[in-house]
Amino acid sequence: MAKYLDEDGVWLKISRTAELEGPRPLLPLELGNKRYVLFRDDEGYLGLIGRNCPHRGADLCYGRLENNGLRCPFHGWHFDRTGQCVEQPAEPEGSKMYTQIKVPMIPVTERDGIIYALLSEK
Amino acid sequence: MISQQLNDQITRIGADDDAGMLLRQYWQPAALCDDISFGLPLAVNLLGEHLALVESLKGYKLVKRIVTGNPNAAHMPAAEEITLDEDGRSYPAVIMKGIVFAYLGQGEPPKFPNFDCFRAPDTHVFAFKGLWRCNWLQALEVGIDPAHASFLHRFLEDEDPSKGYGKQFRDTADDTDIPMTKILRDYPRPEILVDETNYGLKITALRHMENELTHVRVTNQIFPQAICIPMSREMTITQWHVPIDNNNCYWYSIFTSFDQPVDKKLMREQRLKEHMLPDYAPIKNAGNNYHYDPDEQAHKTYTGMGLDINVHDQWAVEGMGPIQDRTQEHLGRSDVAIIRYRRILRKAIADLQDRRTDSLLMKDLAAALIKGPLSNDAITKTSEWQQASHAADLVRRKLCPWDASI
Repeated sequence: MAKYLDEDGVWLKISRTAELEGPRPLLPLELGNKRYVLFRDDEGYLGLIGRNCPHRGADLCYGRLENNGLRCPFHGWHFDRTGQCVEQPAEPEGSKMYTQIKVPMIPVTERDGIIYALLSEK
Repeated sequence: MISQQLNDQITRIGADDDAGMLLRQYWQPAALCDDISFGLPLAVNLLGEHLALVESLKGYKLVKRIVTGNPNAAHMPAAEEITLDEDGRSYPAVIMKGIVFAYLGQGEPPKFPNFDCFRAPDTHVFAFKGLWRCNWLQALEVGIDPAHASFLHRFLEDEDPSKGYGKQFRDTADDTDIPMTKILRDYPRPEILVDETNYGLKITALRHMENELTHVRVTNQIFPQAICIPMSREMTITQWHVPIDNNNCYWYSIFTSFDQPVDKKLMREQRLKEHMLPDYAPIKNAGNNYHYDPDEQAHKTYTGMGLDINVHDQWAVEGMGPIQDRTQEHLGRSDVAIIRYRRILRKAIADLQDRRTDSLLMKDLAAALIKGPLSNDAITKTSEWQQASHAADLVRRKLCPWDASI
């Protein structure tokens, strides 16, 4: 089944759990002409977030999977699975800019080895 | 973030586009002299125009060539396949230090400045180029962003600096035994100061170390589209980011040595290993994932794309897409030089629109007298960094076998 409907909305099949079982659990994906990156964090949860870093647009598909998130190799901006920026290590000490930075995120869920993304909310 | 309209204005290079008209006010690198050996006419793809380098009475010039179909933007047909457009415009070309420069604008071209890369004898300079599949402005902007070197070019372990000839960041810093790679790694939050100058911007990155010491790295933006940065204690790099069309560009570099003659054979061999001729397309590219290796990324380099910093920069700028979508960007304090650069670029575009060409940077007669620019690394007492950076530059210039006085 490529799609199913539940109380949250329409879920679309986007990948399989097996696709993320290699040493590097990360996949580029395209949904509705927009580019995303799907990754599994250290806690085992999936994140599906926009592929370009919100800083200057570098490609997060080559990001460093570390510290329970995805880090952009350009300036070290670090994102958690919700797309929230949690660290900007080149910005001045004490800067809170990161709290205002979020990559677009699509909720995902896994069922019986299939990964679904919430296509449209109810 | 900026508007789509402004992003178009500062990126697009057609003959009727704002940035395209501005860049046409300046000499543009068009080919490497080494490539003349491929045979003339030599195909040149520059500023959206299909051109060919041919001999003229006075040396060389560029003429239009006729292109059929829709070839790859960097495609260089062989000499015998080129059809010159005898009715088209021709443009003046001159050779400077291994690069053929062309002037695609109206009126008088500007004089060349008296920068180190143009003053040094031919023995002390070496020129090379490389193809990046993206707009010229994002390529330039990575070069005026001192913070990225602490991340993008991070080496998780240092190499032996004595084996770093001809490579960026592989020397020791100043006259210490600290590898540059270690300083960049250990101090990732540089304080960045930007000064507007008569050539563009002087960009100073201060990395405050322990024991009241500071690492001072001075790099430069040379208007309109070049940078001048230190490579090692001995060499600087002056690099132009030159549009092929809106979505592709070349970097052209002149490596300038203050001490020993440049080992050109080694420099060329090092770089030919990473590029394919005749278009200088990098062997590592988006089509082969830049030879990305997750294991290397975990243990050796920040990108997992090998030790050549050019590949790291190429990945960073190509991954943004053909023209970076600046309506989605979020610039931080580390981007202060980019913000300042866009301001002088927009002012120059406005001056050109109002026909105030005499107020354009690097266009007037005085530009020919500009020397330098100061471009070096120094480690100094924090309280003395300003004088120390200047003093280190003067020492290097004094010991230089060619006239590098300023």
